[in-house]
Amino acid sequence: MASTSFWSSLKEEARRNYIAIFEQEWPTWLAGIFLALVALLIFLWQGPWGVAAGYRNLGDWIFYAVGAGEERPYSMWLHPITLTNTGLIVGALVSALMSRQFKLHRAPPLEYAKSLMGGVFMGAGAVLAAGCNVGGFYTAAAMFDMGGLAMMAGLIAGAWIGLRYLLWEMEHLQQRGVAQHPPKESWLKAQPFMGGTFLVLVIASFYTFAVLEKTELGGLLFFGFLIGLIMHRSRFCFVRAFRCPFMTGDAEMVKVVAMSLMIYGMGTAVIKWAWIQEPAMGVNHNFWMGSLFGGVIFGIGMLLAGGCASSTLWRIGEGQTKMVVTLLGFALTNSLLATVLKNFDLYDKMGQGRFIPDTLSWYVTVPSFLVFFVFWAFVAIWNEKSEKLVMF
Amino acid sequence: MDLHNIEAHSTLDARGLTCPMPLLRTKKTLKGVPEGEVLEIWGTDPGSKNDIPHFGAKNGNTFLGLYDDDEGYTRYFIRKG
Repeated sequence: MASTSFWSSLKEEARRNYIAIFEQEWPTWLAGIFLALVALLIFLWQGPWGVAAGYRNLGDWIFYAVGAGEERPYSMWLHPITLTNTGLIVGALVSALMSRQFKLHRAPPLEYAKSLMGGVFMGAGAVLAAGCNVGGFYTAAAMFDMGGLAMMAGLIAGAWIGLRYLLWEMEHLQQRGVAQHPPKESWLKAQPFMGGTFLVLVIASFYTFAVLEKTELGGLLFFGFLIGLIMHRSRFCFVRAFRCPFMTGDAEMVKVVAMSLMIYGMGTAVIKWAWIQEPAMGVNHNFWMGSLFGGVIFGIGMLLAGGCASSTLWRIGEGQTKMVVTLLGFALTNSLLATVLKNFDLYDKMGQGRFIPDTLSWYVTVPSFLVFFVFWAFVAIWNEKSEKLVMF
Repeated sequence: MDLHNIEAHSTLDARGLTCPMPLLRTKKTLKGVPEGEVLEIWGTDPGSKNDIPHFGAKNGNTFLGLYDDDEGYTRYFIRKG
């Protein structure tokens, strides 16, 4: 009769929830809803969510550290996007540890080379498009900037080209697998405790920022942490939405990203229409040349690397060593190309943001936006059955 | 079915490869497997635990199952339909 006390019932319930949260994978559609909600919270809290500028901040610092930059870059611990990105990595790390899945993964040599090239392509594409798959596409589209839709077209084309390359590589280059180290029992047992320690550190960081009167930055770190957790638990990958229709015909991620964008976009419409945030906020993408061509280059890169700007971060958190190479390639290329374009005054020639409601009014924009993404999902669903777009 | 006693027609070693390569190579290798025969895949990418069973059950093929080997990788079995 020991199991009827309040504490034992609490313990049993906690155990059950732990299994549901950290041992079973979350459905991607649920993650799509959560992601849109956290992105909206970030928009209300500070401004539109992005990722690439954090990579650039890291690249700037690496160049500065080797003496290549004149100006001291923005401090990393005060850079809003570096903080969300850090939170994202730590969130995935906590999630991987809590689920006893953290492991240093080794990849065959060719994979490291592809990861580097993928990072270089993504870094370059993100400069042209003024954002990555998050800032340049997901957020830009939800902010009603035409640049987001132009980048989406580019990403689809880039994914097509990138998949062509992967198929070619598979036919022409032999590759053998690499044995991995089996995890030790004691390591598996220790993981949840380490995860708990990191969780406490994130919360402590938030309060530290708050004490320093930088609550806004602490919040961004925490929101990044939530995104990392959501993405790792569901293995949320934007690349799939662009690649799978050509590869297996699978439409699931297209449906999830389309739905997530509809929620994110409608939330933004409320916030902007009601002037809670400036309507022009986040409308700064390079429509149309930069967004379109940047999208193509970025799309090729994300296929080579096997991850986009956001999934590179959460995969680092779960121990994929090759993604660290992608991170460095992305950061350095992005920092370098941005400086070059700025010095040659080329940046403004890539285009400029176009706020869709300025042209179409809110009344037409909102339904058109919904119809557009429903249409994308339906093309993918049709393709799943007909396999008309599947490459091989 | 006891997966430990399956005699596979061919084995694909995708250890260390990450999404999408294990799935891409599975799709390609499966094309060369005669009907009724089994393809065994070795993988280490956590994402494959969703992808390969899902894909292996499509197009008339049967996904027979998977298990984690003691050597730190996962073995998957697909029967060509």
